[in-house]
Amino acid sequence: MEKLIEIHKASCRFDHASGRVVHALNEIDLTIGRGEFVCLLGRSGHGKSTLLRSLAGLNPLTSGWIRVEGELVAGPSSQRGMVFQEDTVFPWMTVRENVEFGLKCQGLPAAERTQIARRWLAAVGLAAFENSWPKELSGGMRKRVAIAAAFAGGAPILLMDEPFGALDYVTRMDLQNLLLDLWQRTRTTIVFVTHDLEEALVLAERILVFSAGRVVEDMTIDLARPRNEEVRARAEAVAITRTILRRLEPNNDVLRVA
Amino acid sequence: MMHAVRRMLARNWIGALSVLSLVAAWEIAAHLVPVSPLQGTPIVPSLEHMLGVSFIGMSDYWKFPFWAPVPELGGAQTYRGAILAMSYHSLITLYRISAGMLLGASVGVTRALLLAHFPLFRALAAGPLHFLRMCPLLAMIPLFQFWFGATDKSVIIFVAYGVGVVYLVTALNAIANLPHKYIEAALCQGASRLRILRSIVIPAILPEFFSAIYVTLGIAWSAVVAAEYIGVDSGIGRMVIWADYFSDTGRMMIVTLFILAYAMLTFAFVRILQRYVLRWMP
Repeated sequence: MEKLIEIHKASCRFDHASGRVVHALNEIDLTIGRGEFVCLLGRSGHGKSTLLRSLAGLNPLTSGWIRVEGELVAGPSSQRGMVFQEDTVFPWMTVRENVEFGLKCQGLPAAERTQIARRWLAAVGLAAFENSWPKELSGGMRKRVAIAAAFAGGAPILLMDEPFGALDYVTRMDLQNLLLDLWQRTRTTIVFVTHDLEEALVLAERILVFSAGRVVEDMTIDLARPRNEEVRARAEAVAITRTILRRLEPNNDVLRVA
Repeated sequence: MMHAVRRMLARNWIGALSVLSLVAAWEIAAHLVPVSPLQGTPIVPSLEHMLGVSFIGMSDYWKFPFWAPVPELGGAQTYRGAILAMSYHSLITLYRISAGMLLGASVGVTRALLLAHFPLFRALAAGPLHFLRMCPLLAMIPLFQFWFGATDKSVIIFVAYGVGVVYLVTALNAIANLPHKYIEAALCQGASRLRILRSIVIPAILPEFFSAIYVTLGIAWSAVVAAEYIGVDSGIGRMVIWADYFSDTGRMMIVTLFILAYAMLTFAFVRILQRYVLRWMP
């Protein structure tokens, strides 16, 4: 598979005001291929979000580097779309203006923007809401807007930081299916952070298990699709779960604090 | 229109009742207090006095030799002259207050954006800013007139100075409270600094900007009337002084009531504007 993202000895430490030093990333070496759906899985505070933010260019590394298509990541770019856990749909723009925003930043003419935005709104099932204000939508619908905006921007890489973390179970399943559908249609490379094992099993082609700022397990998930919420009960999945849980034992925590 | 009034009364009948009883109490007081030794200048002018003698007397302040007789040149007092005089001086004041508000808001918000963008500036500005806020506004009118002369410009700059600090402080606060997630989301979509300013920062601070408008409207009306009162030879504030030369309480009250009406109208206008501009707000 063609290499898209290369991560070399990426380290990141935070010196907190209290004097505590946290090594959020510890010399991570990693490559991610074009078109992959990778889940970064781990307990909170073990570096998966830090790595994702570094990939986005929002969080500078202390040492090491990240290259995307050979280019060093030095800051945020429209080449790497991001969906946050928080609600980042701009409340002062209509649904369509939100989806058009990235295209506007890229300097596309209005007619073209509108056309692309309408297509993606239809793809996420919000065609009827293009002129609504975000306040009129539910949390799940706003997440759909964020996903439409991310795909509409046309970035070859989408970074997702626990995007469905704040949603209810059923809505989350809906959005997981939607995301899988869009991924299979576009073959965009997706790096998806989650602490939810079932979510990772449903979505991922590859799971990277994080512990104490390191990737402690790199597993290819070749469970047959479609996978549904019962995926965990499959025999192969049980084996994967067992391996992952062993890697996430509580005493792994102590490595983190220097 | 009548429907809207009726609906407002239905909702605020207690408020309407208290205003009515206040007017009634004024009227009773007007008839009870002793008559002033100066002819035609009651200590508490009654409504019929204000609407009659006082209002038509406003035509004394019409000084152009067209559209209505000029009492200064021996012409008769007319209602047409009174209305023309009131309109003329009201428009002048309205122009000054709008220009002053606009200037103050744009300078205040622009400076806030600069200060928020350059941390060193912010540290430098904190002290002087605090000092500026504490300066007694009205005490500085003579100084402004000394600097800029007794002109429109002087009044406008004075109003702008009075309201500008409020806009500066409000905008600084609003920028500081702006959720960082929106900036990050915009950056990840390839937004430039200018695009973030236009599409994120400015819309995001608009709600607090409107609270600043409400606060500054009060300040601006006091400032503009006070500045006219002391120095400039036109405007609705100046009319109070002209009335004061002859202790004409009725005319003073008329001007006061007009200013009250204008203040209420501007509040209502801003409220309508706010409802439209901030229609996206939850």
